[in-house]
Amino acid sequence: MHWSASGMLRPSTVGEAVEMLSAARAAGLEAALLGGGTDLVPALRAGQRQVQTIIGLRRVLELRVRGAGADRLTIGAGVTYTDLVGWSLSPGLARAARVVGSAQIRNTGTVGGALGSARPASDLLTFLTAADAEVLTVSPRGPRRQPLARFLAARPEPDALVTAVRLARPGGPATYLKIGGRQAAYPAEVSCAVVVDRVRHTLACAVGGIGRQPVRMVEAEAYAQAAVDWATGTVSSAAAARFADLVTEATQALTPTLPVGPHGSARYRIHAAGVLAGRAFARCLNPAIARPALAATLLPAAPHSDFLRPDTFGPDTPHADPATPHVDGTGPQGAR
Amino acid sequence: MSGSEAGSNAGPEPPRPLGAEAEAEAEAAAEAGGLALYRLNVDGFLRTVSGAWLGDSLLTVLRDRLGVTAVKDACEQGRCGACSVLIDGRLAASCTVLAADADGTRVVTVAGLGASGLARAIQARFLSEGAVQCGFCTPGFVVAVTELLTRRPDADDQEIREALAGNLCRCTGYGRIVAAIRAVQQERGILPIGGEDDVEWHP
Repeated sequence: MHWSASGMLRPSTVGEAVEMLSAARAAGLEAALLGGGTDLVPALRAGQRQVQTIIGLRRVLELRVRGAGADRLTIGAGVTYTDLVGWSLSPGLARAARVVGSAQIRNTGTVGGALGSARPASDLLTFLTAADAEVLTVSPRGPRRQPLARFLAARPEPDALVTAVRLARPGGPATYLKIGGRQAAYPAEVSCAVVVDRVRHTLACAVGGIGRQPVRMVEAEAYAQAAVDWATGTVSSAAAARFADLVTEATQALTPTLPVGPHGSARYRIHAAGVLAGRAFARCLNPAIARPALAATLLPAAPHSDFLRPDTFGPDTPHADPATPHVDGTGPQGAR
Repeated sequence: MSGSEAGSNAGPEPPRPLGAEAEAEAEAAAEAGGLALYRLNVDGFLRTVSGAWLGDSLLTVLRDRLGVTAVKDACEQGRCGACSVLIDGRLAASCTVLAADADGTRVVTVAGLGASGLARAIQARFLSEGAVQCGFCTPGFVVAVTELLTRRPDADDQEIREALAGNLCRCTGYGRIVAAIRAVQQERGILPIGGEDDVEWHP
């Protein structure tokens, strides 16, 4: 292998990239994979990371593809958040991508970068955890497919390249909510994704910002499965509050592992997790009765807030709150 | 269907100014010294970068190596938008882009927007509407607004605020900046005359 003294390598295929990665390791060089650079470049500048070789993936066109199979969606690691914002095949994913950072960050940051950095508060990872996504990697040992939770929990394989994530086509409404500082500048403190599958009669809920990786709310999910009237995809008015309580309880049990953030105390995060979960649940499932009371407690729709925009629903689901303008109706955001 | 369209999806590589031999020589010299050598297409000019550090951001290389001070350096964390540029037409914070990885792309700073009538109109309205106070954030804003109005000429108030969320201004409180954008839209016949800021616009 010819080593560029500058340390910058720019492969054009996945095969080349994997080869370069293992050759660098064999030569004892600290190598970094570069997606958009939104995490790596500031870290290099600040001296938080020292590398001798950078493998830039911009020219690997096979990573920059998103596609739909009969029942699965596959998103290449080089796909940017902006590419996902206007994607009609997964409105929930589009919504999660839309509230990532700023336009500048969404245009630059990639799906592979989110998986490689594996930040605890990553918007995308919280949504993908609820969506039961799988991570596809390629290493010298060949291709591998594993559930996202296992990928995040395991120690990263230093010679593997994330090539894509895969998730089921949506079978119902999904939403993503987060709370924290100014969205464009700071990651979420706490986030919550709810993904409803009206075909398989399941509801998945993941909460981010309360552990090293997003956590699935197993008890609350089981409760929801029983509480939802699957014929109509709705719930009773009390169900959202009960769902929120179950999430709060589950989060409370995780307290010892809560990361210490500069802003949110553990108590705040536990409370926020319950509030966000209740809201997300209500937005997906339209609690029909006692709507004004619920709207007051769970849906203080703040159209100008970065975090509480009206959400994206599945194509066949009526909007939860007709009084709230549907932001996505304003046109193709960032479709380029 | 004409055959010329088939090959148009891959953009042409920017022309190389050096002959193949000179290029190889310069590369060998640079590599012998352990220094990076690459080319950046900045505002339509092909600039050769040598001796830069591998980890240098596009922002650092533009300002410190190429003297392009139209790009402002503030947070270096991708949070403030002062260093906004267009990379292949997409808005990006140049402090989060690796300079060596921008080889082969088209980088446009506020200085390179000049030829477009839209950018000139935006700059004029920023001045006339009081959207410039200390002026430090203005180059980044002008790049971001030009990109927005190119893509969405009829952007409404919420779209404008969403699109500009990544550009911080500590002086104006943003009201004058949004007013300047509305004035540009009005001037170009996109916003109805006398329209309120919160008017719903249905084209």
